[in-house]
This record gives sequence, C-alpha cells and structure tokens, in this order.
Amino acid sequence: MKNTKLWITAVVVIFIAAVVWCIIILTKPQGNIVTVTQDGKTLYTLDLSKEKDRRIKVEYDGRENVIEIKDGRIRMLEANCPDHTCINTGWLENVPIVCLPNKLAIEFSDKETDAIAR
Amino acid sequence: MNTKKLTQLGLLTTIALIIFIVELRIPNLAPIPGIKLGLANIVTVYAVYHCTAKETALILFTRIILGSIFGGNMLALFYSLGGGTLCLMGMLFLRKVIDEKHIWICSVLGAVMHNIGQISVAVVVMKTTAVISYLPFLLISGCMAGAFTGLTAQILISRVKLKKF
Repeated sequence: MKNTKLWITAVVVIFIAAVVWCIIILTKPQGNIVTVTQDGKTLYTLDLSKEKDRRIKVEYDGRENVIEIKDGRIRMLEANCPDHTCINTGWLENVPIVCLPNKLAIEFSDKETDAIAR
Repeated sequence: MNTKKLTQLGLLTTIALIIFIVELRIPNLAPIPGIKLGLANIVTVYAVYHCTAKETALILFTRIILGSIFGGNMLALFYSLGGGTLCLMGMLFLRKVIDEKHIWICSVLGAVMHNIGQISVAVVVMKTTAVISYLPFLLISGCMAGAFTGLTAQILISRVKLKKF
C-alpha cells in the first residue's frame, strides 16, 4: 500500500507529541492561586498559601460537591455524582480536578492575580 | 434494507452492546474521566471496513444510545456522541486510504479523533478550558486502546473469514 509508511509515521508522531505534552503539563511549576469554576463562572479564587483549613460546599442542580482545603492543598472530598472521578484524582496537582456531571473544575490559575477569598 | 442485512446489523449491534456492558465492569485504570478500553469499537472498526457508511453509523449510534441507557450513565452520552461522530467521520475517510491489512492504523487514528471529539464536547459543556489538560493523557491511552482494538479486529477478520454481506 502506497501511503502506509506515512500513516504509521503520523501515528508515531501523534503518540510522541502526546507524551511530550503530558511531560510539559506534569512538570510545569504551579503557583498558589487556585480557581474553582462551575458552568463557566468562577466561584472562588483561592490563595492556598494563605487559606486556612476548611471545607467548601458547592451545589449544582440539587447535587453537591465538598471541596477540602488542608495544609495548603486542595481536593474534592465528597461528590454525589455516579463516577467519583474527581475524588479519585486526589489532591490538586498539575492536572485539574474535574467533576463532569456537576460541571465543576478546580485548577491552578496561570495569572498571579490578587487572591479574592470569599 | 432487506431482512438479511437487518439481521446482520442487529447482530453486530448486539455484539457491540454486550462487549460494552461487560467492559463497564472493568474498573477505571486512571482517575481521568474518559479513559476506557473501548472494546466495543472492535465492532465499529470491523463495520467501517465491511459495511457502508450509513450502516456503520447506524450500528455505532444505536450502540452508544442503548449503551448509555443500559449502563445508566446518561451524562456520558454527549461525550460518547461527540467522540463517536468525529471518530466515525475520520475512519470513513481513512478506509479509503488505508487498506485492510493495516486496520490498526485506522483504529488508532479513529481513537485520536474520538478523544478530540470528547474533549471538544467537554469544553463546550463545562465552559472551561481546564479539561484540555486531559487531552494528552487521553491521547496516550487512546493510541494504545486503539491499536489493541484495531489489531483484534484485524485478527478477527482474517480468522473468521466472514462472508461479505
């Protein structure tokens, strides 16, 4: 077949690109500013270095998520969605914590803005 | 569509559904939404090479819709539909340029298209670009799962020598 080699190359290139992209994401240094967004709206902008240990309840469409901040780290503690992927993600590191059913995302913010803790 | 055709398409859909439901029992390997083996796509890959575009689309969408209903996860439906549509379009194009001996390449590229589709739907639904960070991880798992399902389909086709319908 004429173009087989070309397509195999394409596959290999995509795979290598994905691996490199992963490494970039995983090694990117992170600040302390974390944003909690739901359905496109930013609910909280938190500075983890200044936050006290606490729990935040977020409701969406009758379902709720509990976010826990402890020792300058943040994670999803409880969620009453079926898959619990967000809880299994654990503490927030370089990969954002996402709860697809409740449209909730916790991620490090790129912008070093002043923290507005509400 | 005659009865024979209808039966064959029904059978293929059923096989895909059974594989899909058995696969639901396999626990998630990584805490990243969307990572799956996608074994049901063995049937999709087979259908791409042995049925017309319309028939393949019928098999795929029936499987996706019924699969979400049986699996009880209607939330995943949109992600599967988005990914499935893009994957199908990609593979229907690729079958013209990749021959039957290299189905696994077509399958890998299909999986890549599927991942891109999934993430695009997630960006629209979630209204955040945070989910794009998941794309490279999905791509790695997608490439491996795609190669696996593609090779399985390839072995299946050469062994079973199903009569062309």
